[in-house]
Formats: sequence, structure tokens, C-alpha cells
Amino acid sequence: MSWSGAEVSALAAKAARGAGAPAGQAALFGQAAALHLQQGRGAGALAEALETLPEGPIMDLPLVLQEALPVARSGGEIDVVWAGDVALAWSYLETMPYRCDVELERPGGLKVRFSPRSDARPRAQRISGCEELLHKMATLAAKTLVPDSAASRSGGAGAGLTDND
Amino acid sequence: MKDHVAPHQAPLRPPAQVMRLSRMGSMFPTRLSFLRTLMRFLAAEKAQVSRPVWQMCPEGYGHAVYALSFGGHTYSLVAVSTALAPEDRTDRVIAEAWDSSYVLYDGVPDADEIARMCATAPRQEAARFTERDLVLSRANKSVRLFQHVVERLRAGQQPDRQMVGEIGYLMRTTAVYGNGKFGIADRSCIDTRPGLSGPFMAEMLTVWLIRQFTHDLVEHVGQGRLDRDLKRHLGIGNSTGLGMAPFLVTHPVLLNNWMLARETALARVRAVRHLEPERAVRLVALADRARRHLAEWCVPDAAHQARIDRLRADWVRFAGGITAKALAEEGALERLIRASGTQSEDLQELLVALALEPFPELVDGLADCMADPVGPVAAPLADTAQLRDEIACHFGWALAPDYADAAQCRQFWYVSEAKQEPRLGDRFAEEGAALESPLDIGRRIKALFLDLPERSEDVRAFLARSPEHFLAVARVALAAGYPYAEIRDNLIGAGCLPIDMLRCKLAFFGASKFDPKSDRWTRITLCQGAPLADELDRRADDWWLPVFDA
Repeated sequence: MSWSGAEVSALAAKAARGAGAPAGQAALFGQAAALHLQQGRGAGALAEALETLPEGPIMDLPLVLQEALPVARSGGEIDVVWAGDVALAWSYLETMPYRCDVELERPGGLKVRFSPRSDARPRAQRISGCEELLHKMATLAAKTLVPDSAASRSGGAGAGLTDND
Repeated sequence: MKDHVAPHQAPLRPPAQVMRLSRMGSMFPTRLSFLRTLMRFLAAEKAQVSRPVWQMCPEGYGHAVYALSFGGHTYSLVAVSTALAPEDRTDRVIAEAWDSSYVLYDGVPDADEIARMCATAPRQEAARFTERDLVLSRANKSVRLFQHVVERLRAGQQPDRQMVGEIGYLMRTTAVYGNGKFGIADRSCIDTRPGLSGPFMAEMLTVWLIRQFTHDLVEHVGQGRLDRDLKRHLGIGNSTGLGMAPFLVTHPVLLNNWMLARETALARVRAVRHLEPERAVRLVALADRARRHLAEWCVPDAAHQARIDRLRADWVRFAGGITAKALAEEGALERLIRASGTQSEDLQELLVALALEPFPELVDGLADCMADPVGPVAAPLADTAQLRDEIACHFGWALAPDYADAAQCRQFWYVSEAKQEPRLGDRFAEEGAALESPLDIGRRIKALFLDLPERSEDVRAFLARSPEHFLAVARVALAAGYPYAEIRDNLIGAGCLPIDMLRCKLAFFGASKFDPKSDRWTRITLCQGAPLADELDRRADDWWLPVFDA
């Protein structure tokens, strides 16, 4: 079975929220997670990131992006200091709307060159071979769902009238 | 914006005026609506729809395939019609069976692929799909009208025109899924293709083809032919609920681009000082069409019908001033728009939609600016002092409410366990507020503002200490570059009516005949008056606010 990038992104974002990440960081993790898997960078870093909440890369990598943003906008190189999984950091950097080439990958960080991106985002690749991670994400995502109730059902589309009209 | 030779334009209406829920909930479709854009494109491409497969029993159960080619690609709609017991027919998202189900397929499916989709499409969310599947949808019959049309056709007669006029569709969709849902293709697989690069184009194409299928199905079961004008008036219904509302909050760049395109179009039209006589005549005719459309727009809900009635009366009075003679004066259109400022928002927004209609050369190119091909490009915020200034400049609407007041935080958005349906609850009467979805943008901005340190510091240092404000900071960072990105109202206040968000989005789709069933969901009609598959070469673009010439 293969998955679309959009559904993995949505699932990863919900999983991060379910694991305790604030909404903004969770959404960013969702984007990065899909890119990460599409690039074949391995599911382990994503699972670990979810496990280490409320600390770890899901909380820290958004701050790395904050630091990189001015350079990314103007184009140029930056040394990204990052002691964690550099592949995951790379995936986060690629969520920005700029072309991002990693010139040097090393323990403790990356040297990155930013340049303007062409018009469109690259075509998303299908995601497969990470069922265990996706199952884990689904379990965490379920923690964000509110149990069904009569009161909640009464407001949805189609509620309150016959549909055989 | 991609329009390189920008025409003159008047000042844009400010976001503080445009981005209010009540105004968004008064919007009408325009020539920038996605269905209109799609029809123009298909006509320009001389796209021809064929029906290579029609395997349907006399009762109308089976499958069909429709195909059309444009922009160097072929797309096929696979339609599956199944028997459905009345007790199983529901428009709710939580339904598990439907009268019909659909897949928009990338290419021409072979027999194996058709068999696969015939097995999976009826299962909808319970099935898995592939990257060849672009859109997934389902629709239920309007049992009353479908049966009536079948009976009349079988008797060699045409259906009752009044009934066709009142209902307006043979089936209504209850979901149209795109962009990767349940394994279908990501939008990025098709968003550079001609004709599909605009927002929701694949979904609109699907809806238009479904409408064609409903016509063919009723004629097949009724063993007769519908008159062309009846058929053209039969659009495709839709039931839309809260699931659509969060999209406008979670896609601020798209919302900005849609609104900015529409407001830019209006600003261009307002700058037109002299109207050619033929343009004035067209405006007068369209104003009269709007009057007839309003007269045909009837809904069961008394409160909404009263609102329509008021608009009808107001429009008759106001449109009395839209004459060829009056429009011949210099600056007439701008004066008209200014004069509408004392009228209801319903009338003002109807006038905006009307004003855009006769100016394709000023408006249509802006449709190319309504997608979001690169994602948000936010300017970095230097420090918390700049953050404070940006909030003060752009988010006065968010700072005003006292969110501790029960009325200002009465509602909370959440996702239900039941098919993951977005819902809205009463914070003080229902469980689940701890799992609230982050659509409370105004409250978050105010909380951020109140937490900013007195002495300015680096934003990163602030966020390291207060990570809960990351989302709010990101929204503030967007404000300068995307002025129409935020709905400038309290989305968790007791007075928030989600129906306003639904109408805004649906108007951009091209919906008309809004038929609210509560403040949380509505029925609508899409494609009413739109060209039939064999009419793209004749009347592709003249169906704004369609009327039924009974």
C-alpha cells in the first residue's frame, strides 16, 4: 500500500498534536514528515521525534527555521547548528518556499545554500514501507478526536431532516 | 500577481471591511468563481466529452465512464450507480452507502482499472485509492425529482417545470475529496497541468461531469429525452457542512489569494470612467437577470427566506437606477458602487459580482493568481517589538474581544471520532474542549500580544521560552504580505456563524441558490445554467446567476 504526501502530512500533524506538541509546531512537523518520507530519509527519526515530545526536534527545529529564514529569503549560505538527526533538519528546511541545497552534512549540523525556487513545488512522491510509523501516528492522532455524542451529531451537514426528499 | 500589464485600478477595499464574517456570508459567485474559470478553459480548449462505457441495467444500476482531453492529458470520470435502501440514504458524512459514487481518473482506465474503481468507489473513505485517482466523490438522488422525471419521461412527457425550477438538481454530492485523501493523488501531481493549476479545478471538473451523468442516468431509466433547457437548469446539488469551514482558516495564503483577486478585479472595474454603450446595455440586462434569479431563489428556512425577500425588494429599488442612460455618465459605475454603501451587505456583494461580469478583459486573467504554488512567503520578524507593532497594525479585531467572557469563547471547534468530522461544540455544555482544534486565531493572537515582554528581544528567544505562541507568531508574520489572509472575526464567539464561512468558499466554487438548513450546514446548487457537455462551443461563459425561463 502507498500513501499520498497530503495524507501523511495531515496524519503526522495530528499525531504530533496527540503527542503533546502545540498546534503550530505540529503542523510544521506534518509538512516535514511527509517530505522526509518522500525523500526516503527513514522513519526512525520521525518516530523518535514523536516519542521525545514535549521536548526534542518537533519543538526545536521550528526555531532553527526562524534563524534560517532571513538567509533563505535573501539567498545565500548558512551553517545550521543542529545536534540531532541532520536528515530531519534537512526535511524541515525543505518546508520553506525556497530551494535548499545541503552542501555539507556533518555531525552537529549542515551547511545549506538557499536560492529562489522555481514556480511550483516539486511533485510529491508516494510514500510506502513505513506502516509501523504510520500505525503509531494513527494511534497518537486518535488522541485528538472527541468521542461522538448526540449533541455533536445534531449540527453536522445533513442533520435534522429526511434525506429522501 | 501574474498579470504583467496591470490596468488602472481604484484603491482596494480594506481587509477590515472585506474579511468580516457577515460580508463573507453575503458573497455571490463571480466570473472568477472556479467553475466559471474551468468552463472558459474547456471551451477554449475545445474539449469534447465522450462516454466510452455505459453498462447500466434498465433500473439504472451499473457503471459508466466519461472521458475528455485537454492540456495534453486525458481524464475520465468513472461513475458507479448502486441500489440504496431509503433508510440508508443520508447526506451525513457518517453515511456508509450512497446512490452513486465517482472517481476522476488520470488517463483512460482499462477494464481492470474500471473493475478496481467499481469495487472501491462505493466504499469511499473505507477504501484505498491510487495516484491515478484524482478526485473521489459520491452523490445521492433527490428522490422526489428523480422519480418524477423518470415517470414523466416513461409517459412520453417532460417533467413539471415548476418542480425542476424549485429543486434544481437530480442528485446532490455529499463529499468531493481531492488532494491525496484516502490515497488519491496529491494535488502537486497535477497542479502544473493546463486547466488544473487553479484551486479546486479537478474537483470542479468532477462535479461538472457528475452533473452530465445524472442527466444521462435519468434519461436512461426514463427511456426518454429531457428538453435541453430543462437539462441545462438541472445542476448538481451539494450538502456542505462544517468540514469546509476550517479550510479557510488553515489555508490563509489561499484565502488571501482568492479575496485579493476578487478585490483587485473590483478595483479595476471601479477605475473604469467611461462605459461603452454595449457594456452599459449588458450591465442593465444582467441586473435584470439578477432580479429574476432572486425571484426564483426560494428556501424552506423562514429566516433565510426573509433575508432573500429583503434583498429582492432592495434590489428592485436599487437596480432601478442601473439604466443605460445613467451608466453613460462618467464614473457611473464607481458612483453606483459608492451608493450601495448604505445598503445591506447582501446587496453590496451582489453588486460587486454584477460589476465584474461585463469586464472579462479586466477580470479573467486574475484567475491565474488564485492558487498557492509555492507556499507562504513570510517576512522574518526582527524582534518582539516588531511583533507587537505588527499585531497592533493588523490585528485590532483580534485584540478587541475579552476571550474570558463566556460569550466570546462559547464555541469550540473539534474533530469527532465519527469519521473524523469537524464539528463545533458549546464549551460550557459539551465535553471535548480540551481537544479543541486550533481555529481560535484571534484568541491566540491576543494571548501572544499579552505575553510579549516589555523589553524587546529576539523572536526566537521568545518562542524558545513560550513555544505555545509559535502558531500565532506565524500568522502575524503573514499579515504584511497577505492582507486578506485572516477572517477578522472571533471564530469561537457565540455569534460566529459557520454558514458565513461556507458561503464564502462555496461562492468561490461558483455555487448559487444557497439553502441553509441551520447555521452549520447548507445545501447549494452547482453548475445550474452551466453549459452542457455539447454546448462548450456556444455558451460557455454566460451563466452568472442563472434563471429558468419558464
